[in-house]
Amino acid sequence: MAFAKDAPNDSHDDRTYQSPTDQFGQDPVAVSDFLGRVNLNSAQIREIAGLGAVDYIKFDEQGITPGALPSRGVMDDLCYGTGTTYLAGLTFGGTWGLIEGLRGHTPNFKLRINTVLNSVTRRGPYIGNSCGILAMGYNSINGIISSMRGRHDAVNNVASGALIGAIFKSTAGIKAATTASVMCAGVAGAWTALKQHFFKH
Amino acid sequence: MARYGDYTRDPCPWVILNDTGGAFAMGAIGSGIWHFVKGAKNSPKGERIIGAVTAVKARAPVLGGNFAVWGGLFSTFDCTLKGIRQKEDPWNLIASGFLTGGVLAARGGIGASARSAAFGAFALALIEGISIAASKFFAPPPMIQMPDLQPPNANVSGT
Repeated sequence: MAFAKDAPNDSHDDRTYQSPTDQFGQDPVAVSDFLGRVNLNSAQIREIAGLGAVDYIKFDEQGITPGALPSRGVMDDLCYGTGTTYLAGLTFGGTWGLIEGLRGHTPNFKLRINTVLNSVTRRGPYIGNSCGILAMGYNSINGIISSMRGRHDAVNNVASGALIGAIFKSTAGIKAATTASVMCAGVAGAWTALKQHFFKH
Repeated sequence: MARYGDYTRDPCPWVILNDTGGAFAMGAIGSGIWHFVKGAKNSPKGERIIGAVTAVKARAPVLGGNFAVWGGLFSTFDCTLKGIRQKEDPWNLIASGFLTGGVLAARGGIGASARSAAFGAFALALIEGISIAASKFFAPPPMIQMPDLQPPNANVSGT
């Protein structure tokens, strides 16, 4: 009750948040008059923050690569790349096993299901695991090369592909290792070209 | 506040890929080291490196794949439960562990499946319990809140 007397112009019922008409009869100023002209996109806020004017807003310090495949760094590339490649390999190998298992004439339905399951679980994980190892090695080597060179470009990707191909088949002899190296470098180069063409726009 | 939703994880469909890849990497690298040492130990003296590399080549991808399937299924069930229940709490994770364990042992019959499911739920409950205990232990003490002041126009119609 003590506060009621101190209440000023009783504009509490007013929902438009305008200042009242002052004694000179000038038009009231609404909030939209001055905030409507402010254009604070994120780039400008970063500049202002850089000058020390806005120090209570925390920004993400890590950059995000632009395009349809955003990535916050090596960990993202490693996890998403390996996961996607593993699942793609698993699906491809599983389909191959499915086709292989459905071929052939087994009289019994249960036997057929068993055959199909056996062939799916033989081919699928084999292809999936190999693709996963290749992708994991590719992304790790790519991260190491990028941090050593200090930049990201297509040369890193192709070199990483070549290295992981060579390492993957290193115990099978020089010829097999070279073939695998060239193939993986080719796939890495094709993937880089695809990304730059489709996703960087 | 970090218990109510982990803000470092990506939104739900995409996080499945992230978890699959992360689990694969953990499984492959961890089992690579383990089987390198084991293969070297179990090989005759002149052939330790060859034995180690052979063991890694045989086992590391398989274990990576097993971990990846476990992680991917777990994350899928977690996202599904979050979508159905519209809540984020430790029960989602425990139930996901239960379902994952059950599904992965399904080919062995009901008994094996139930045992695997129970083990999965127990492991997750242990992990979540430790995680909650650790966050309570390390959390700052709760701030004393000022009592809300009455707004000045509460009695504007009076007097």
